[in-house]
Amino acid sequence: MNLEKVISGFFIILAMTLNFGFFYGDIDDISQHSKYELFAAIVVNLIATTLKLGDRTQMGSVLLATSLVADIQLIAAATVWTIGAYAYALDSSTIVLVVSLSGGALLANFVSVVLYVGDTLKSKR
Amino acid sequence: MNNSALWIVLHRMRAPLLVLIVTYTIAIIGFLLIDGMDNNGKVYHMNIFDAFYVVTYTATTIGFGEIPYAFTYGQRIWMSMIVYATVMGWFYSLGSIISLFQDKLLLAQIAESRFRKQIKNLNQSFLIVLGYNYTTSEIIKKANKEGVRTVVIEKDEHKINELNLENFTPAVPCLMGDVYDPLALEKAGLNSKYCKAVVSLFADDNLNLRVALTAKLLNKNVKLAIKSTTNDQSEDLRDLGVEIVENPYEIIAEQIDIALRNPYMGILEKWLHGIGTLDDEIKYLPKGKYLVYGFGKLGRKIYQVLNNNGIEVSFIIPSDEDIESIPKDMLNIVKFYETDEDESLLIEDIKNSSAIIARSTSDTLNLSILARSRKLNPNIVTIARESEMAYLSIFENANIDFVFIPSKVLIEKTTNALLAPYSSKFIEMVKEQQELDFAEKVILRIKNKIGSNPITFGLTVEKEKSYAIWNSLVNKKRIITLDVCRRSRSNWQEHNKILPLILIRNSQVYLLPSWDMELELDDKVLFVSDEESKNDLRWISKNIYEFYYVYFGKEKNMFNKLFKGGY
Repeated sequence: MNLEKVISGFFIILAMTLNFGFFYGDIDDISQHSKYELFAAIVVNLIATTLKLGDRTQMGSVLLATSLVADIQLIAAATVWTIGAYAYALDSSTIVLVVSLSGGALLANFVSVVLYVGDTLKSKR
Repeated sequence: MNNSALWIVLHRMRAPLLVLIVTYTIAIIGFLLIDGMDNNGKVYHMNIFDAFYVVTYTATTIGFGEIPYAFTYGQRIWMSMIVYATVMGWFYSLGSIISLFQDKLLLAQIAESRFRKQIKNLNQSFLIVLGYNYTTSEIIKKANKEGVRTVVIEKDEHKINELNLENFTPAVPCLMGDVYDPLALEKAGLNSKYCKAVVSLFADDNLNLRVALTAKLLNKNVKLAIKSTTNDQSEDLRDLGVEIVENPYEIIAEQIDIALRNPYMGILEKWLHGIGTLDDEIKYLPKGKYLVYGFGKLGRKIYQVLNNNGIEVSFIIPSDEDIESIPKDMLNIVKFYETDEDESLLIEDIKNSSAIIARSTSDTLNLSILARSRKLNPNIVTIARESEMAYLSIFENANIDFVFIPSKVLIEKTTNALLAPYSSKFIEMVKEQQELDFAEKVILRIKNKIGSNPITFGLTVEKEKSYAIWNSLVNKKRIITLDVCRRSRSNWQEHNKILPLILIRNSQVYLLPSWDMELELDDKVLFVSDEESKNDLRWISKNIYEFYYVYFGKEKNMFNKLFKGGY
C-alpha cells in the first residue's frame, strides 16, 4: 500500500462525489443545491489539483488537465453565484447556469476518476 | 516534456499551495459556523463570500477591518487564532517561490532553455568553441569580426562569468557542461546546418581526441580544428578525418626552420596572419653553434630542424626535467650540468655558442638563463618560447631577440584555416616553390604595388556572393577576365592598387594568376589590395550597373546617363 496513492485517490474521488452531491437535484431550484457543498467541492478540487502538480508522466499531465478544467468550472459557478446574489437578483436562469457549470466540472472529475482507476488497474502492483 | 523549469516550479509549489488551501478552508469554515451579531443585535451568520473576503484580506495582512458588522468576541477569538495560520501559510508560499528562483537546479534549467532558444534562432554560420580562455577568446573576437558567430561550451562557472563580462558583440551563447558530452555538443548545435566547425584547443591531448571522436560520430560533415602535441596523436586525429590538426610544437620548429632558411617567408606569413607588416625588419638567425635549454616534447623536432640546416646543437637539461623522458638515441647530444665543475663547462659552452634557445616549461627559468647567457656572451642571440599567452607579456620587456608564442600562432592558424582558408592555401603554395627568393619577390611586388600593410580578401564567383559577375557569366555569356577586378569605378581605364594572390578552381590552384585569366563559375580568388580597391571590387562584383560600367566603359542605360549628366 502506498500512502501517497491513498491520499491522492481519496481527494480525486472525494472531489467527484462532492461535485455530484451539489449537482444532483432540479436544475432551477436553488433549495436543492447547497452552497456549502459547492464550497467544499471547490476546496477538495483545489487540493486534488495541487497533489497532481509536478507529475511528469503522460498520465499525470492528463489528470492535471482534467483537474484544472473542473477547478475552472467550479470557480466559475461560485463566481456566477456570488455576482448573481450580490450584484443582481438571483433568478432561475442564474441558478441554471451555476448548476450546469458544476455539471461540466462533474464530467471532468468523472474522466479524472476513470483515468485514475484505469491507471491503477493497469499497474502490476 | 522538455520544459523542465516549469515542472520544477510546479513540483516545488505543491506543499506551499496545499498549506494555503487548507488554512484558508479552515478559516472560512470557522467564520461560517461562529455566530455574529448585526446592528440590531440579531444573530447573524457570515455567508461564504463574506468569510472568503475577510480571510483573504487578513491572510495577506491588508486588514480592512471587521465587516459587514463589528465582530463578536467569538469571531475575534477565532480571528486571532487563524491570523497566525493563514499569514504564515501565505509567507511560506511566498518564501518558497523566492527561494525557488535562487535554486541552482532551476537557474541551470532556465539558462539551458535560454541557450537552446539562442541556438535555435542562430540563422548564420557559427563555430563551436570548446573551453573559454585567452586563446579561445581571441578566436571568438576574430570570428565576430569576420561575421561568423560562435558558441562556447565551458564547465567552469567563473570562466562563464568572465565570458559574460567580456560583452561580445554579437552575443556569444555559452552552455555550461562537459565538452566531451555528446548531449552538450548536440545542444550547442553540432547538427545544425549552420555549424561550420568545432574548435578544441585543450592542453590535454586525450580530451581533444575524445572531443574529435564524439564530434565526428555525431556529425561527420562538420569541420574540426583540434590541437595535438605529439605525432601519434596527430596521426590518430587525421585517421578520424579531422581537417585541421594544430601542433604548437611543430609550429615552433617550423618557424625556426623558416627563420633559418627563408626569413622572407616568415614575414609574409606573419603579415597574412595579421601579426606584422611587410616592412618588418628581417631577422636572421645565426648559423653557428646552438644551445638548447630543455628537451621536452620539442627536443627531437628542434634537433632535426637544426641538423637539417647543418647546425651543431647541444641540449642542457634543467634540474626539474625528467631524464627518463628523453629518448635513448638522443642522450649523446644531451649535456647535464649538475656539479660546480660542470658550471664552468656551461659557462664555456655559452661563450662558444652563437644562439641559445630557452624552451623549458618554466618561463622564469627561461628568462633567467637567457639573462645569464647574455651577461656571459653579449653577442649571443637569445630565443625564447613563451608558454602561455597573457594580456601583458614579460618577454616583451626582456629584450629577447626572438620570442615564439605557440598559442598566438595557434590562434592565427586556427582562425585562418576556418575563416580565411584561401590565405592558408596561399602560404602553403609559396612554401612549395623551389625558388628560394620567391617569397622575397612576392613581398617586393606587393609592397611596390600597394604598400607595406595591405589587406587581403576573397572573392567567390557565385550567385549569392558576387551577383553581377555571376549574372554576366551565366545569363549574358560574356567572357570575363581577372582584369575587370582591377578597374577603378571612377575611371574604368585606370587600375586600382590590387593584386590576385591565388585562384582556386575545383582542385586546381593557380599561384599569382595573370590579369588575362578568364573567370569561371565557382572560382575562388584571394586578392591583396588597399581598402579603397577592396570597396571598388565589392561594388563591381555585386552591382550590375557598376559592373556594366567597368566592363564596357559606359553607363548601363539612358536614365542613368541622363541622371549623371545632370550633375
